[in-house]
Amino acid sequence: MTVLAGAIQILGGLVLAPLLPGTIQALKARLQGRRGPSPLQPYRELRRLWAKTLADPQPTTLVYRLAPCVVAAATILALFLVPIAGLSPDWPLGNDAIVLLGLLALARFALAAASWDTGSGFALMGSSRDLTLSVFAEALLVLALILAALPAGSTDLVAMSGGGGGSAIWSEPAHWCAAVAFALVVLVETGRQPIDNPDTHLELTMIHEGPLLEYAGRDLALLEWSAAARHWIFLVVAAGLYLPHWGGFGLQLACLVTAVAALCAALAFTETAQAKMRILRAPALLAGGCLLALVGLISGLVS
Amino acid sequence: MQLLVLLGLALLVAGTLAPAFPHRDLTTAISLQAVGIALLGVGGGLVLFGAPAFGAAFGSGLDPTLGIDGLTGFFLATLAVVAAPATIYARGYLVGVARSRALVALGGLFLIALVGLLMARDPSTFLACWELMTLVPAAAILVRRSEAGVRHAVFVYLAVTHLGGAGVWISVLALAHYGAIGDPGALAAQGAGVQALVIVAAIVGFGTKAGLMPLHSWLPRAHPVAPSHVSAVMSGVMIKVALYGLIRVLFEWAGPAPLWAGLVVLGLGLLSALGGVLYALVQHDLKRLLAFHSIENVGIVALGLGASILFASEGDETWAAIAFAAALLHILNHAVFKALLFLAAGAFERALGTLELDRIGGLLRRMPWTGGAFLVGSMAIAGVPPLNGFASEWLTLQALIHVAFGPSLGLGLAGALATAGLAATAALAVFCFVKVVGLVLLGAPRRAEAEAAVEAAPSMRGAPVFLAGCCVALGAAPGLLIPSLMELSPHPQSLTAEPGLSIPGTGSLPSPWLLLGLLAMTGLLWLLRGSRRSAPVPAWACGQRIERSLEWSSAGFTKPLRLVLEAVLRPRREIEAVCERGQLQSVRYRGDVPHLFDTLLYGPVQRGALAGALVARRLQSGSVRAYAAYLLALLLGLLLLMRIGAIG
Repeated sequence: MTVLAGAIQILGGLVLAPLLPGTIQALKARLQGRRGPSPLQPYRELRRLWAKTLADPQPTTLVYRLAPCVVAAATILALFLVPIAGLSPDWPLGNDAIVLLGLLALARFALAAASWDTGSGFALMGSSRDLTLSVFAEALLVLALILAALPAGSTDLVAMSGGGGGSAIWSEPAHWCAAVAFALVVLVETGRQPIDNPDTHLELTMIHEGPLLEYAGRDLALLEWSAAARHWIFLVVAAGLYLPHWGGFGLQLACLVTAVAALCAALAFTETAQAKMRILRAPALLAGGCLLALVGLISGLVS
Repeated sequence: MQLLVLLGLALLVAGTLAPAFPHRDLTTAISLQAVGIALLGVGGGLVLFGAPAFGAAFGSGLDPTLGIDGLTGFFLATLAVVAAPATIYARGYLVGVARSRALVALGGLFLIALVGLLMARDPSTFLACWELMTLVPAAAILVRRSEAGVRHAVFVYLAVTHLGGAGVWISVLALAHYGAIGDPGALAAQGAGVQALVIVAAIVGFGTKAGLMPLHSWLPRAHPVAPSHVSAVMSGVMIKVALYGLIRVLFEWAGPAPLWAGLVVLGLGLLSALGGVLYALVQHDLKRLLAFHSIENVGIVALGLGASILFASEGDETWAAIAFAAALLHILNHAVFKALLFLAAGAFERALGTLELDRIGGLLRRMPWTGGAFLVGSMAIAGVPPLNGFASEWLTLQALIHVAFGPSLGLGLAGALATAGLAATAALAVFCFVKVVGLVLLGAPRRAEAEAAVEAAPSMRGAPVFLAGCCVALGAAPGLLIPSLMELSPHPQSLTAEPGLSIPGTGSLPSPWLLLGLLAMTGLLWLLRGSRRSAPVPAWACGQRIERSLEWSSAGFTKPLRLVLEAVLRPRREIEAVCERGQLQSVRYRGDVPHLFDTLLYGPVQRGALAGALVARRLQSGSVRAYAAYLLALLLGLLLLMRIGAIG
């Protein structure tokens, strides 16, 4: 079981991750009454990018060229931390939620440094917005993690997944608050509407796409894959900690697949129903999420 | 052991006196100081790792005594890790500087004061070294530069630290009076009132010197004007030595600290962490920005200390020890990377003549050693894995999360707020240091001096590179240090020493594997990526070329955050358009973020003090008759009091 979970953790994360944004795009197109691209479109794009030559904007340093590798490396290491269906083999990297946070911060640092290296205004605009949102998103994320860690008393993702299992937990208001708070985190970290519009071609409105503008070829492929893998990480964590799951490994795996599919559908639906909000409004939304999480904590500590 | 420490002290004193002999080269003095402080550091490290304590024990008597125990050993080692490279760096930094002999002697005296304070085992030595430690940097700043602005900064530094420092005198003398120095039971017998007085005085006194908000006003003024090797020791160690005093009082001398003390320290820590990093983000001068970051990091240490007190008062001794160790580890880590950043900033200032962030750029190419070390230090202070800043922030965050687990509602909420605040602080630190790295090291040079910059002298580049190595090593193996630090807590706990940290209730921090994994994976992807390159292209900006005037500035990068936090930061902006004959001739723009603590808190206090002084001056008329009248009034008053039986 553990071996299978480990295999899905790594191979699934590496191979299946691009399927998630692909599925969301395809569903979104259906909801909007278009035929749209196939869910496999991200794979085709990655293949195309992998064959292309790299671009070397002037004047840049090694920091710019290394950034895609650092981003992808941090994301791959993050894959090792996220348990699948409540199981994770004894990787030497452990399963700590705060380490996951740190690895994502490293990726953010590397990409923002790369945008300074090109000096391009659009890249810097994107990363400055991304970093602004991250201030509120990280506060919200740790609050949601505290709530999920409360039953197990540990920030080990495997223990947290166990603590959030079963049906009794759903009678706790704390868990509901945690789920809603984490949903907001998922929106920010995956760069979806109403926070960010992944389909935009207008540079002035970009957040996550902005720093990618200068990259080409395999560099861009690595960054696009990392963005897809962030979808994987956050949806799997959401399903494993905050959505219903119970029973043995097989049943939990089924729950995971269902939950991730449902989350993809939900993201596609919000993207269709909800317009992008003003960037400066987004922190208020996240601060509201923080308040909700605190309310959840109060109810969790009182009961 | 004894020999080692005495030899170290002797060399340090010799190195301080050596500049007085004019026929001697300064290299001798500097080497003596560096070797002396390094030996003391080794001695301290040995005591920390289990060698028997050395010298006298703490006592409330007034006879000067010296000694080293575990906590002193830890701080001595921290001092040595920072001061030895900083002293060697001074060799290159002081070339061509006027009055360099005085600066070297003052640098040595500063180290002696710090060592004396750490080794003091009685109140008189402690307080004497405390004053010396405050005065010597002021002298060093004035010897180097004495413009009006600098003199004003030094005045504010001395005024604030002395007013606040009264708290240190009150708490230490009160402790000595009750015989509580080295005897935790003595104060408990005096009741809660005396204990409260001692604790509040200590928090105000030591907190002022440590730069805890809202007592920090001197710090961002004094650090930027000091010579770089002095600011490295000031920011890296001096403010930590104030925390050493706070730890001694709160955790040892004042008996078990009450719950409210823990909440106060936690609250001040949260304010300092968030406030420090927010104001750092809107600074335009590199050294001033680094000074604000010291406030942030002192805040993080205070969060760990506050959590430790809260755990202890709830009876959770394991986590009390872990939170205590987290605070100490962050003290060491911050000393290392802050000294690195200040030393590198000094090298940049040497090369460019300015540290205004918007006018540097592109230094990684031109100063690869200093620039590379600066990059490592920035990543460490931003708290990204696998460097040392992440290790101690991880541990502090874990401690706060476990405060949030309850069981009591109030403490749980306090813990959750502090956790969220620390997470936001970490994200803001990433924001801030990406900006610094981008403006200083990356991109195209923003002015001619930056284009012509050359790498610093070998002694000046060695120190930052050594400290960058320390950042990596401490990030890879924090677990080798943590068990010894947990032993120093008032509730010693044991933990097996291994490079990573596996603590029950957490998912463990396998730091060596993180480092290896990141290096290996990045290397693998770098190979996979290949190096097929197209011809160099200009960066793309909608078909425009990126010119210097179009480049992003520090203010531009932080604009979204400034707008979001407008209600808190209250930025000022002035736009002035000059029109002539209906045509726009020019537009002048000025924007800044005023330091609200100065305008809202210190401003009224200052005005009140000046008004009070005016009133007091009227009493001093200078006329003999008036003074005779004062004496008569005093006499009559005393007689009256005796008559009604109030005195006598």
